[in-house]
Amino acid sequence: MRPTQILLKGRSAWKGPYFVAFPELREALEHRVPIKTQARACTILPTFVGIRFLVHNGKDYIPVMVSQDMVGHKLGEFAPTKKRFVFKSKK
Amino acid sequence: MVYVLGVNLPDRQVVKFALTQFYGIGHATAERICARFQMHRTCRVRDLTPLQVTALASFLSSPKDSISPARYPTATPDFVPIPRRAHTARNREQAAGPDRLKELKLEAELKTEIRDNIAHQKMIGSYVGRRHAMSLPVRGQNTQNNAKTARKLNRVERYR
Repeated sequence: MRPTQILLKGRSAWKGPYFVAFPELREALEHRVPIKTQARACTILPTFVGIRFLVHNGKDYIPVMVSQDMVGHKLGEFAPTKKRFVFKSKK
Repeated sequence: MVYVLGVNLPDRQVVKFALTQFYGIGHATAERICARFQMHRTCRVRDLTPLQVTALASFLSSPKDSISPARYPTATPDFVPIPRRAHTARNREQAAGPDRLKELKLEAELKTEIRDNIAHQKMIGSYVGRRHAMSLPVRGQNTQNNAKTARKLNRVERYR
């Protein structure tokens, strides 16, 4: 496979990775403030490493600590949207 | 029977199809390999010369160290095309593309790579890794019924 295809997974190379600009990125890195976001499709960039995110899963905001290995994945991959069904236990 | 790297290639099969016995070689790759070692398209395994078999075995044991065939220009050297871009040796290499067969991974090596990829997903805690751990489909398939292939294959320690 070509390197761009591995990086972008089928997205056109001229577009580059899809990401959302977070204006509070520096502040989050310095003061360890989590960034609350609904941008699940945002690609994790190398600049995000070490930042805590609160990623929306449709209901709540799930805390995600970005590590070096997560670079290139999407934020939404780390905030599960589905809950396993369990029967209500009778009293 | 010809044994190559612990895989036996049935004598009466066409080489192109016999090669797909290897884990990691499909029809497209098999055709490329046949072209590389000058095996014609109806050549059967029993018709291979011992020299060809050894060449094949040495290639399959380490595709990375194999020697790429020389690339000959299709035009004569004195042909001067309209210069669109400087045709350096590197440009020519880029136009022809890298030697794909050098990146070939087979059998145990390929399985290790797949296992490592799944382990990576599990380690970072992504959705894909979680679905592998639960033996469920990874790419959004239905799970109300069936999902049998996933139940059979999807796990963190695959091929073990």
